[in-house]
Amino acid sequence: MGYRTFSELKESYAFILPLIIFILTFILLPVLGTFINSFFRDISFLQRKFIMFENYKQLFNDSGFWEAIRFTILFIVVSVPLEIILGLIFALILNQAIPFRGFLRACVLLPWAIPSAISGRLWELIYNYNYGLANFLCIKLGISTGPINWLGSSLGAFFGVVIADVWKTTPFVTIILLAGLSAIPMDLHLQAKVDGANFLQRFYKVTMPLLKPVLIVALLFRTIDALRIFDLVYVLTHGGPGGVTTSLSLYSYKYFLAGDFGYGSAVSVMLFVIAFTLSLIYIKLGRFAELGT
Amino acid sequence: MFRKIFILIISFLMVLFVSCKEKRGVVTFAVGGAPNEIEFWETLVKEFTRQTGIKVNILRQPTDTDQRRQGLVISLKAKKADPDVFLMDVAWIAQFSASEWLEPLDDYIKKEKINLDAFFNKVVNLVDRYKGKVIALPVYIDAGVLYYRKDLLRKYGYSEPPETWGELVNCALKIQKSMRKTNPNFYGFLWQGAQYEGLVCNWLEFAASNGGGIIFKDGKIGLNLPSNIEALQFMYDLIHTYKISPPNTFTEMKEEEVRMSFQKGDALFERNWPYAWALHQSEDSYIKGKVDIAPLPHFASGKSVSTLGGWHIGISKYSDAKSKAIKFLKFVISYGTQKKLALKLGWNPGRKDVYTDQEVLKKMPHLAKLKDVFENALPRPNLPYYTQISEVLQHYINAALAGKLTPEDALSQAEKEAQDVIERYERK
Amino acid sequence: MIEERFKSILIWIGYVFMVVFCLMPFLYMMLISVSSSPDFLTKLDNIEFTFKNYYSVLTSKSLHFIDYLRNSIIVSGVSAFFCVIIAGLGAYSITRLALPGKMLILFFVLAVSMFPQISLIGYLFKFMSTLGWINTYHALIFPYIAWILPLSLWILVSYFAQIPKDLDKAALIDGCTRWQILRKVIFPVAAPGIFSVSLLAFIFAFNEFMFALMLTIDYHSRTIPVGIALFQGLHGEIPWGNIMAGATIAVIPVVLLTIIFQRNIMQGLTRGAIKG
Repeated sequence: MGYRTFSELKESYAFILPLIIFILTFILLPVLGTFINSFFRDISFLQRKFIMFENYKQLFNDSGFWEAIRFTILFIVVSVPLEIILGLIFALILNQAIPFRGFLRACVLLPWAIPSAISGRLWELIYNYNYGLANFLCIKLGISTGPINWLGSSLGAFFGVVIADVWKTTPFVTIILLAGLSAIPMDLHLQAKVDGANFLQRFYKVTMPLLKPVLIVALLFRTIDALRIFDLVYVLTHGGPGGVTTSLSLYSYKYFLAGDFGYGSAVSVMLFVIAFTLSLIYIKLGRFAELGT
Repeated sequence: MFRKIFILIISFLMVLFVSCKEKRGVVTFAVGGAPNEIEFWETLVKEFTRQTGIKVNILRQPTDTDQRRQGLVISLKAKKADPDVFLMDVAWIAQFSASEWLEPLDDYIKKEKINLDAFFNKVVNLVDRYKGKVIALPVYIDAGVLYYRKDLLRKYGYSEPPETWGELVNCALKIQKSMRKTNPNFYGFLWQGAQYEGLVCNWLEFAASNGGGIIFKDGKIGLNLPSNIEALQFMYDLIHTYKISPPNTFTEMKEEEVRMSFQKGDALFERNWPYAWALHQSEDSYIKGKVDIAPLPHFASGKSVSTLGGWHIGISKYSDAKSKAIKFLKFVISYGTQKKLALKLGWNPGRKDVYTDQEVLKKMPHLAKLKDVFENALPRPNLPYYTQISEVLQHYINAALAGKLTPEDALSQAEKEAQDVIERYERK
Repeated sequence: MIEERFKSILIWIGYVFMVVFCLMPFLYMMLISVSSSPDFLTKLDNIEFTFKNYYSVLTSKSLHFIDYLRNSIIVSGVSAFFCVIIAGLGAYSITRLALPGKMLILFFVLAVSMFPQISLIGYLFKFMSTLGWINTYHALIFPYIAWILPLSLWILVSYFAQIPKDLDKAALIDGCTRWQILRKVIFPVAAPGIFSVSLLAFIFAFNEFMFALMLTIDYHSRTIPVGIALFQGLHGEIPWGNIMAGATIAVIPVVLLTIIFQRNIMQGLTRGAIKG
């Protein structure tokens, strides 16, 4: 490595070129195109016109837009910590010497493996008011006296989406945290035991500090993914009832549906800006995490 | 190395051409609806092919109106040749016509000798025309109606269903009080108040029957009118003051919820679309034979109003089989097919002449009454961006029903936001 | 040793909870798919089993269910195949060749993986529409390859980086070209890693929803996630039996892959995440 002859350079670039071309053409170009389009009035039933920031001005006065932001942020704040906590518990268990670990691993992976659209249909049935699994269990286990209107009430729909998403994405967090856990050398645990620490103390003093960088990775990955949520809300609630579970992605999509590609593009650009900012933070924090280890 | 890459690229491109090529010249008909409806369309299509030899492929769509629209928007915006012919909801047909996605039908109507007078004129002129040209025709009509328990009215000494909202309230209060002794779930009046398009349809019927509604003047929208405020206040009172409508009216009540509740015998009056009739008269319905239909009540100073609904059939501008597609369209709106739709699915035909057919009247006697209702039904604003205005209305009307805003505040805020929407879409 | 006992009990409770939590929805799905009516939970004493749902879903022509499945498998397979090759070339270049700006490329690719799909689809739709590719396999395959490349690249970089460079040097001395080294030395050694990435790429492509929703129209190229999302059943008022039967069939490919190759999948995912 390190030969700097021209033909070597040409070769290195030739190898990476297909990748660059694909990403440039089918990711970067569309993003740029959408960005540019957001400055136009691009509506299927009107003449196309350059309107500069008009779409964005409208956006700031649009109560639907702010509701979408409110839901998206609330969703992140509620579901991500839940996933992390649950994922941590699952990872801790998987890290132990338990029988049929392969079986447990497969179980844990299954929710992640299926398409989110299909999981959405499944949970739609589970939340069915009259004969869904959720109400059946809630009543049988005494959690509530009567059936809960999951999909027809604001609170029910919100938590319905959260629970369905937690179910689907906890496996991913589990896997990452499990990798982090198994990277912690046994010696540290044994030493702490010798020093008289019980397992709770060991958890706080040994496990958590070493797990922190991995936790940060999981946290940020999940946050950015939760930000972009679309499949689940589209299938499970269609953004309802009354728009309370409309994520930013779904809000933008609704405008595409109405033929207003310009406005929809503007919404998606706002989402992009938020996601991009977060990912920059992630890369910065990730750098520090690497430096830390 | 480059030779290998070359082979790779060639094989890649070859794989791509494995994907099916769309057949040219076959008519694709996109239609959605409940599974039993699609099954019926399939038999209709088979018969059409038998009669004319033209092959028609059904493109099965979901039931939900927005999902049906989405499938069509994507094909039309991409200028695809398929689907050639499809059904459209009155609520968004204006978006399609204004986007110039629909083939003008006037020439075909002349050539195929389709008689426009056989259809409800008001409907055709208000909904099916764009810049004067006909771009769609009605397959079936919907309009809000009042269902009532004729057995209960008779029992409590009422010979006629109420004509004004005031009469309805008095009648419902009296009967509800008495019925509650044996049935604590009994309510006087069920209607759709959840936050969705149906809410706007319901609200229009209250507001327009008071002389209000969605008014346009000089390009500005008028919502914050005394007639509207009074109507919205009345809707609020039905739930919270008179309590003849259940508290979940504005959270859950949509067509099916209302219908099922009424069908179980838990209500005196129901506002719903005509589709419920056939279900109310089905074998396992508790109210079979006990229900009748009447026009909706109105406010003392106004007239009865029903919101117009229904689905219309049109042809894609980008269709590659227009002459065949028009034959299928003609088949769907023909007397024979419309009669079948009425008899088999309980739909209300778009053709006026079917309403006087003896066989149809025997099975659906209420059609005689409905004919007048349909002729004067009130369409929602025929704007390409109507769905956006509707969302604003849905949001604020529902907030008023929930008590989060006063009717006046709700309507004035709705008016402001709706005006913003109009300005965005009307700016030249 | 009370602590040990306590810990064991907690672990066992957790174990059971995990299994129930993860599997219960699946069991419910399969149960409904074989019952004659979806409200069997309200009539537990009167359960009827039938395979009618599966039969209707698989044989109803206008539903095109088999077409959706076929489209999904072809699109996912082709996308995964080419994605892995392109990512492999890129990973080789990054880990072994003198590539100025390689860190930049890596972080650029990482940033790209964070883009929201909705920010692409507006223009992507127009792009595909102009090419006339809407409702074809190409409309999905090309974006899928691009979309899955970032993750594939990161994972393969992680695998390739672990292969000692001496192997390369030895081969170079023997007179091999870089391309031959890649084919004959790297790919065989990194085979398990490449296999993991292929699996992941296939699963991601198979499960993708938004692009398929907006770039396809009908059975010519529509994939199964969209098919199931829009499926309203075949008979009756709310035919959940049909929908669940369709869903069960639809998830069979990915479920099988996951169960059989869970080790590979877990390794791949871990590499992709931890390295970043």
